[in-house]
This record gives sequence, C-alpha cells and structure tokens, in this order.
Amino acid sequence: MSIILPLLLGVVFGFALNKAGLTKYHKIVNQFRLNDMAVLKFMLTALVVAMLGLYPLHALGVINFPTVPATYVVGNLVGGLIFGVGMALAGFCPGTCVAGAGEGKMDYLVPGILGFLTGAVIYGLTYDKVFPKISAIANYGNVTLPELWHISPYLAILVFTIMALVLFYLIDRMGMQRKKK
Amino acid sequence: MNWLMKQIRKEEWSPYAAGILLGIVGILTVVLTDKVLNAPKLLGASGGFENIAAYIGKAINPSNTYFKYVMPPGMTFAVILLVGIFFGGMLGAFSSRTLKFRTMDDEQWKKIFGKQTWKRWLVLFVGAIVLEYAAGIAGGCTSGLAISGGMLLVPAAFLFIAGMFMSGIVTALIIYGKRF
Repeated sequence: MSIILPLLLGVVFGFALNKAGLTKYHKIVNQFRLNDMAVLKFMLTALVVAMLGLYPLHALGVINFPTVPATYVVGNLVGGLIFGVGMALAGFCPGTCVAGAGEGKMDYLVPGILGFLTGAVIYGLTYDKVFPKISAIANYGNVTLPELWHISPYLAILVFTIMALVLFYLIDRMGMQRKKK
Repeated sequence: MNWLMKQIRKEEWSPYAAGILLGIVGILTVVLTDKVLNAPKLLGASGGFENIAAYIGKAINPSNTYFKYVMPPGMTFAVILLVGIFFGGMLGAFSSRTLKFRTMDDEQWKKIFGKQTWKRWLVLFVGAIVLEYAAGIAGGCTSGLAISGGMLLVPAAFLFIAGMFMSGIVTALIIYGKRF
C-alpha cells in the first residue's frame, strides 16, 4: 500500500497536469506574459476545491492534517522570486517536467531531470550556509493563516473563493487578459 | 459513457475542469495517506528529487547535515509520487494520442530562441538547477508548497506564489522584450 498509494496519486496528478496543458513550454510562459491565464485558473480552482473539502473533513474529525510547510517570510518570498525566474526561463516546474517526460519529451527527461538532481545536490551541500540564516528571519513555524491571525478558516476560505471567482469573471467576461501576439 | 470517452481523448481540458481534478487529488492525498498509511502527507515534486540526489550528495560529502538528517536518501513517498507523475503524464498523452518521442517541439520556443536543440537543452538544464535550488530555499515548489500549502491556508504558500508571479512576469518581459 505504501507503494501503490503514492503511485496512484501521482498518476492522477500527472494526468491532470497533462490535461491542463501545463506540460507545454508556451502554456507556462504565456501565463507570465499574461496572455494565457490557464495556469492561474488551474491553480486557483484546485486550491478552492481542496480547501472546501479539507477543512470541513478536518472539522468533522474525519482526517488529521499533515505538518504544514513552514512559514519564514523572507525565505518563502526569496525562494519564490528565484523560482519564477527559472520557471519563466524553462517553461516548466519540477512536477510538470516529470509529467512532460512521461509524454515522451526528451528535453524534459534528460536535461530537465538531470538539472533538478544537480540543483538538489548543490542545495544540500550548501544548505548549512544558506538555510539556517534565511529561515531564521520572521519565522512563524508550521502555522496556517487562520491560526496565525486567529480567524475562522471558513472566513478565510470564503474570502479566497470570492476573490478567485471575481478574478475568473474579470478574466473571462471582462477580457482582463492581454491579446496574443 | 460516450461523453466521458470523448473528454478523456481530448488533448486539453478547460483549466477549470483540470483544476477540479487536481483539487480532488489534493484532498484524496491527505485523506488516504491519513487513513491508509496513518501518516497524513502532501503532494510534492521537488522533495522527491532531493531524496534521490541524497545518494549522490552523501557520496560527495558523507558528513553533510542535509542529506544525513533533513533529506536522507531513500525510496520515499515523494520519490514514488514522482514515478506516478511520470506515468500520469504518459497516460494523459496516450489518451489523446499525443504520446511520442521528441527532442523539442514547442513552436513558440523555436520562434524566440531558434531551432537548435542544444540551446533548448542547455536552458532547461540551467533552469532546472535554478528551480530546484529555489524550491529548497522556499521549502517546496509549485506542487509541494503553492498547491499543498495553499489548500491548507499556509502563509508560506501565498508568499511563494506572489514571488513566483512577480519575478516570472519580469523574466518573461526581459526575454520577450518588444514581443512581450
């Protein structure tokens, strides 16, 4: 089970990435050029659906939450800033690269995956010099927004859902998207 | 049934439909790992690469803290997830009959960077190093931090997403220039 379960979850995850078109260079880059909003729509939809499922299940006592990713403001933000450069350059991220490799894309399978492994080795070997310092700044630990701000998670989910729906409306109905060149 | 087969054969879905599927996978990951493995887990991609890279990292420096304690080598949940993602991409491409070997096929890339394969491979290699290093600093990538953290309302996820979009837009602007 400890092998079959992650394998099956990974298959559906990779399948979703393929069907969303995120295994294509232009799909990712055109999101950053703001003339194809598919990546944003895909991510926000997934977030809203998952929030609406997970928090009620947790409140009903059906599930335990895993340890959530740690919040250390500067590191999360700086990491995101560097990540965006790589993503706009290559047109993939670790997950979409692996799914694309499965589609038969040799450029994803060979330089892509070798690059991630090289990056991981470099990161691990320089971890001591980088991570403790950057993660010490404004470190709030493994916390969620509702815990940090002492608000109801449902209020946070409601606000997030409304924001996402307004954004979808602006993009699809009001044409808040640049024209393709 | 016919309708379902037609949808599965489509090369690309509406991002909303694919997003709903990803959201369901996000929920199922927590529910099933909690119920079946008794240890709730999250989706992620960059962490799996670290578990594999640890075999190399440990050989280079056996006393390295990171590969010894934080991300030790092993066929972890995250590594098997990566194998699954690979076959998921394959299944998706197979279902739309777009599964085929290719060294580079993006027309937009060719227009901007040219047709040389080595150039594409070099940029992808460098880009992947940057991505994995950045994911290390941030504490995850698009799946492990942005999606998995965001769905649990973790502040780190929203900081990461904000940073990623800001620098992604600026980088695209620099690369595309007047063609942006």
